Amino acid sequence: MHISEGVLSGPVLLSGGVLAAAGTAIGLKNLDYDRIAQVGILSSAFFVSSLIHINIGPSSVHLILNGIVGLLLGWAAFPAILVALILQSLFFQFGGLTALGVNTIIMALPSVICFYTFGPLISKNNSISIAASFACGFFSVFGAAILLGLSLIFTEENFLEVSLMVIIANLPVMLIEGVVTAFFITFIKKVHPVLLDTTNH
Amino acid sequence: MNIFNNKKMFNKILYFIILLLVFSSKAFAHKVSIFAWVEGNTVHTESKFSGGKKVKNAKIEVLDINDNIIHKGMTDANGNFSFKVKKKMELKIVLIAGMGHKAYWIIPIEDFTPDNNSLSNGNISYEPIGKNNKKKEILNTDCISSENLENIVEKVIDKKMTPLIKKVNLLLNPNKSPKFSDILGGIGYIIGLVGLGAYLNYRNKLKGK
Repeated sequence: MHISEGVLSGPVLLSGGVLAAAGTAIGLKNLDYDRIAQVGILSSAFFVSSLIHINIGPSSVHLILNGIVGLLLGWAAFPAILVALILQSLFFQFGGLTALGVNTIIMALPSVICFYTFGPLISKNNSISIAASFACGFFSVFGAAILLGLSLIFTEENFLEVSLMVIIANLPVMLIEGVVTAFFITFIKKVHPVLLDTTNH
Repeated sequence: MNIFNNKKMFNKILYFIILLLVFSSKAFAHKVSIFAWVEGNTVHTESKFSGGKKVKNAKIEVLDINDNIIHKGMTDANGNFSFKVKKKMELKIVLIAGMGHKAYWIIPIEDFTPDNNSLSNGNISYEPIGKNNKKKEILNTDCISSENLENIVEKVIDKKMTPLIKKVNLLLNPNKSPKFSDILGGIGYIIGLVGLGAYLNYRNKLKGK
């Protein structure tokens, strides 16, 4: 999901940077200091999850976890993901530093959208909650794939085809993320439901 | 867990997921990298995704110092691509793997071994033979000529050096997976930031008092 250095055109990089800065500002403004440890933990989880490659058949997929990050953090997903992306690009050379803003938008914006769409459903009864958390994991990756395709609009000639390819390539990731998110949320709901209290975001 | 209680349904979903995974051959990794090295006047390249998967059928462009494309090609099924160079110069090899993935590797001019001609231009090896007496000249025709000797030595050295060169290439290769220390370092930074946030929080609270 990380766009490399030198792929995108200037306007895309710039608007990505501006939007990411705005998102991060909102995230930091809304961030309750009492939840800062939680932001750190989820940022670490996001940072590490990209390293977990699962080789199945001829393909190799990995977790992104932006659904879980969004569901638990809301707008604070922006600073959490930004920090993790900075460290990933510095330590592992995942994605370019100039593309940092665009990469942050690609992964954090779907998280926030999923937080508002599916967040309220999590507190409902079990089957609705499981379905909602699966959808959250699924659509946060789906949204990221769409944003990735969109950001290539000025640089790829047959951009629609590429976008479709991005979505198809990420289908397994979406399903895995959905299942992981569903299990994770169910677990959290049983063990530590306070984390899911979406009112104090 | 009503959804998963229905075992048949669950099995069907699982089967569907596995099928999808098997048939989606496009790997989607975070990073691509290309690595190139020189052997004689051939440049070999190797392209990989993070996680070690080879980049198949991806575009490769070879640029000179002024960013003019001098060569184009595609990686094969093993992610490799080789080409011959006519002129020795600094090369920039760009891998375009699509979907926002791009990487390059620069080959400095020093990586090319100097011409064989330049070595023999000094004529150092010929001199003693020409100057010396006839006896030696006769011997020379029976034995190996200096030119042949040079070739043989070169071949033997090449043979002996190949594993060494491969090891050096492996060390220089950027396709390595991230180190454990890097992962710990990253997590450390995040903990540090959390600490900074906590510090600011308490400082504000103390000021408030």
